[in-house]
Amino acid sequence: MTASTAGPGPAAADAVTSRRVGRREWPLPKQADPDARLLVVENLRTYFALESGTVRAVDGVSFTLDYGEALGIAGESGCGKTTTALSLVRLLPSNASTRGSIKLMGIELTSKSEVQLRRYRWREISIVFQGAMNALNPVRRVRDQIAEPLEQRLGQKPAAARKRAGELLELVGIPRRRGAAYPHELSGGMRQRAMIAMALACDPAIVIGDEPTTALDVMVQAQILELLERLRSELGLSLILITHDLSVIAETCDRTLIMYAGKVAEEGSVDVVFRTPRHPYTQKLLAAFPDIQADRRTLDVIPGQPPDLRDPPPGCRFAPRCPMVMEVCREVVPPEIWFADGVRVACHLYPEDSDGTPVLIPVEPLVGAGATNGKAT
Amino acid sequence: MTATATTLDPGALRRERWRLRVRGWRESGARFLHRRDGVIGLVIILAFAVLAIAPDLLVGPLQTVTTATGHKFEPPGATHPFGTDNLGRDMLNLTVHGTRISMVIGLLATVITVLVGAVLGIISGYVGGSLDAVIMRVTDFFLVLPTFVLALVLAPIILDIVGLDAAFFGIKATLFVIVIVIGATSWASTARIIRAQTLSVKERAFVDRARAIGAGGGHIMRRHILPNVVNLIVANTVLVFAGSVLTETTLSFVGLGDPFAPSWGQILNAAQTSGAPGLGIWWYYVPPATAIVLVVLAFTLMGSALDDVLNPRLRSRR
Amino acid sequence: MGSGYLLRKVSSAIVTIVFIVLFNFVLFRLMPGSPDRLLRNPHITEQTRAEYRARWGLDKPIPEQLVNYVVATAKGDLGLSVYFRNQPVVDVLANRILPTVVLFGAGEVVAIVLGIALGAYSGWRRGGPVDYVGNGISLILYSMPYFVIGMLLLLLFVTALHWFPPAGLQSLGVRYASIFDELIDYGRHFFLPVTTVAIGLIGQYSILMRSSIIETLGEDYITTARAKGLKSGRILRDHALPNAMLPAVTLVAINLGYVVAGAITVEVVFNWPGLGTLTVDALANRDYPVLQGIFLLLSIAVVVANLIADLVYGALDPRVRT
Repeated sequence: MTASTAGPGPAAADAVTSRRVGRREWPLPKQADPDARLLVVENLRTYFALESGTVRAVDGVSFTLDYGEALGIAGESGCGKTTTALSLVRLLPSNASTRGSIKLMGIELTSKSEVQLRRYRWREISIVFQGAMNALNPVRRVRDQIAEPLEQRLGQKPAAARKRAGELLELVGIPRRRGAAYPHELSGGMRQRAMIAMALACDPAIVIGDEPTTALDVMVQAQILELLERLRSELGLSLILITHDLSVIAETCDRTLIMYAGKVAEEGSVDVVFRTPRHPYTQKLLAAFPDIQADRRTLDVIPGQPPDLRDPPPGCRFAPRCPMVMEVCREVVPPEIWFADGVRVACHLYPEDSDGTPVLIPVEPLVGAGATNGKAT
Repeated sequence: MTATATTLDPGALRRERWRLRVRGWRESGARFLHRRDGVIGLVIILAFAVLAIAPDLLVGPLQTVTTATGHKFEPPGATHPFGTDNLGRDMLNLTVHGTRISMVIGLLATVITVLVGAVLGIISGYVGGSLDAVIMRVTDFFLVLPTFVLALVLAPIILDIVGLDAAFFGIKATLFVIVIVIGATSWASTARIIRAQTLSVKERAFVDRARAIGAGGGHIMRRHILPNVVNLIVANTVLVFAGSVLTETTLSFVGLGDPFAPSWGQILNAAQTSGAPGLGIWWYYVPPATAIVLVVLAFTLMGSALDDVLNPRLRSRR
Repeated sequence: MGSGYLLRKVSSAIVTIVFIVLFNFVLFRLMPGSPDRLLRNPHITEQTRAEYRARWGLDKPIPEQLVNYVVATAKGDLGLSVYFRNQPVVDVLANRILPTVVLFGAGEVVAIVLGIALGAYSGWRRGGPVDYVGNGISLILYSMPYFVIGMLLLLLFVTALHWFPPAGLQSLGVRYASIFDELIDYGRHFFLPVTTVAIGLIGQYSILMRSSIIETLGEDYITTARAKGLKSGRILRDHALPNAMLPAVTLVAINLGYVVAGAITVEVVFNWPGLGTLTVDALANRDYPVLQGIFLLLSIAVVVANLIADLVYGALDPRVRT
């Protein structure tokens, strides 16, 4: 199934140049710099103003995304991953304020007004939300909701939009006729697919998936991930997947960003980070994953709670729960250090002059036939 | 494993339960006092309660045709701050005395409504099955009926059965009929609300546990369901009270009241029939009207504040 | 709309109407002044008693009476009015229906349109000045019985300002120069009572709509709509309002019973010659056949209106149709 080359209509008027990724031509927005990286986020800070104080939900997060890449943002609930993603298109409630730099194809989004920013929503960055039952309007037919951005944002005529909506549904594996259904008439998996179809409507450069598979059962989860992977290769999409489920990232993503309490703990290619995690939090996260071949009796949990982000601890935010904590960790915020294998870590165990050898945290050894205990490569 | 718990002392358990319950009330009370609307409502109600309890102390006995102190339709002035009615009675006197009558009727009607409604709601919700279906059918029927018209139709029937001159608890038959009729027509809405809550409480684990250890239906309803429904009942009662006062006012206005024990609605009826609006005698109906609005407003404010405090609804936030 | 839903609602309404008729029959038995009660009066001669018995069919067994009653009701024979000198109840009612429908209908329409608009705006611009003022006023109006509102309006606009004529449907003993003048006269009499009903209702609709909009705006699909880059106005119109309106439709249905009460009292205040004043007069004159007829008529009207509201709801919300 190939993407229709009919694509967006008058939007092409915006495109001055285009870029080829995979088999598709990307029409670029007017102000885009064709040589810039797709997405460069620098020192993103998003704070929420509450009665009880200011919550520093995202406090200095930086990352990049290239064309055709899939980045997986992982972390516990409340670590700021969803807020980070929503900050990109300024979808936060009114008590949130965002600072820092977000450069989409070289265009600085943070300096845009609400009206100007709207141009980039859905057409360059779209979102597939968690829990499609609530994210879809219950009183409108699915195909109408998919056709809506085509009509409103791309100026297509209703008939053409509906036709395209049907094609998109087919693309994600939903029979075209089912588009006439209402959200509650579809199964959970189909709803999620419909949301993906909707997210693709305007041929965005980046699709953000906010826990796209969390509410689904494992079989359906696998199907959705397979779909995302296929779309990525066929359409040349870039993905940002937000999830707390590391296996999803391991399966689908090229790079991963591990967040904790609003800051980046570790970032790098999935292969390297998952095989040789450096940051103690990353190691704990991976260790907390039950190994199906091993025989361990108890789950290796991380004791304690994430910090209150109204009053985060000085120094490293993971310090209160870190098994390798040192004096300096409690006082000084660890700097981000880059290593040769492309991994970035923020931890005092890896100071400026470190050679990058991972410092392993003590774990309860696994028992059982297939247990590797991290020793194999 | 052998039981390592010490023998349980039922008395201590009961005391502990009470302690927790009282603490819960105190916390709810504190939260309630923080809400401006609830407090305003409460203050107004208390003020009227004072008027209702001891009207004689404040304005003297209820004036009648023979004891009227003024001339007909005197405008408000020094001797009669709220003017006089068509019989020359002091309006302030009438309005204050009307408080007790209106509130008592409202209270009695509310008691009936909530009693019938809550009992039926809990039973219907807990027992379920065909009993539930039957009760719900009846409830829906009563919900659809225009209750006001039903009240007007029932009133003369009940009056006829009871006899015009009968008196219950010192209240004349006509007023008592109003109480019955409000109760008979308002219970349905309460029953529905309580039943919904019962259904959701029923699903909770502790009810299953109680059933597993062999507790009987009545016991479960009394000891487990009721305490969890009581919050809703309290909030609902306050709102029902507001509605009862309104309904009583309207019923009296159309002629079911007792001219010798005038509630506010009855005063308004007298005002209408004596032609006050057309004659511009605004003081005949502004005082009782204001009183009605204040009381109903107060109960509504208090009721919704109580509802928020006692039944917190979690709002989902991203 | 699924035929299942339609069928269910209509059959439910029919069953309710049947119950109402039965209920009415029981009342007919119980009503003071219903024929056999009257007949217990010792002053009536045996002959008169026998006549009445035959006339009302009281000598037949109860089930047969029930059937006769139902048949008679279906044919439109609701008995004879005591007060109106044995005029058929149906005729008495027919004379008064139109003014009430006009009053009630116009009031509801105005209240719905204004109330929803006001409520939606208040909810959209939450915390703004319109919101506070509107909410406060709505709350006060909600606590006022309709007739109090009517009395106040009467006082202000008729007695004090003389802007509108006092009471009634039209000026008495006046000859109209043209149909246009007649309509204007109707309009002048019409304005205050309709305004009263509308004011009484607006509070409820606006408060409900406001909280409904606020709740709807917190839903995830609104975030999706924003993420799609849609303009605010479009989000409100296409996503928020269609969902927020649903409770309002339900409220209209639930309210009907209470609005009837209000309309009755408003008619009394303004001497509007509709079913309301008829009810109050019938009550005062102990004209039970008429009272009973009104009860039957209004009950059925409310059931039908509820049915219509249910069908409208079904048309708006696809989730209930399954």
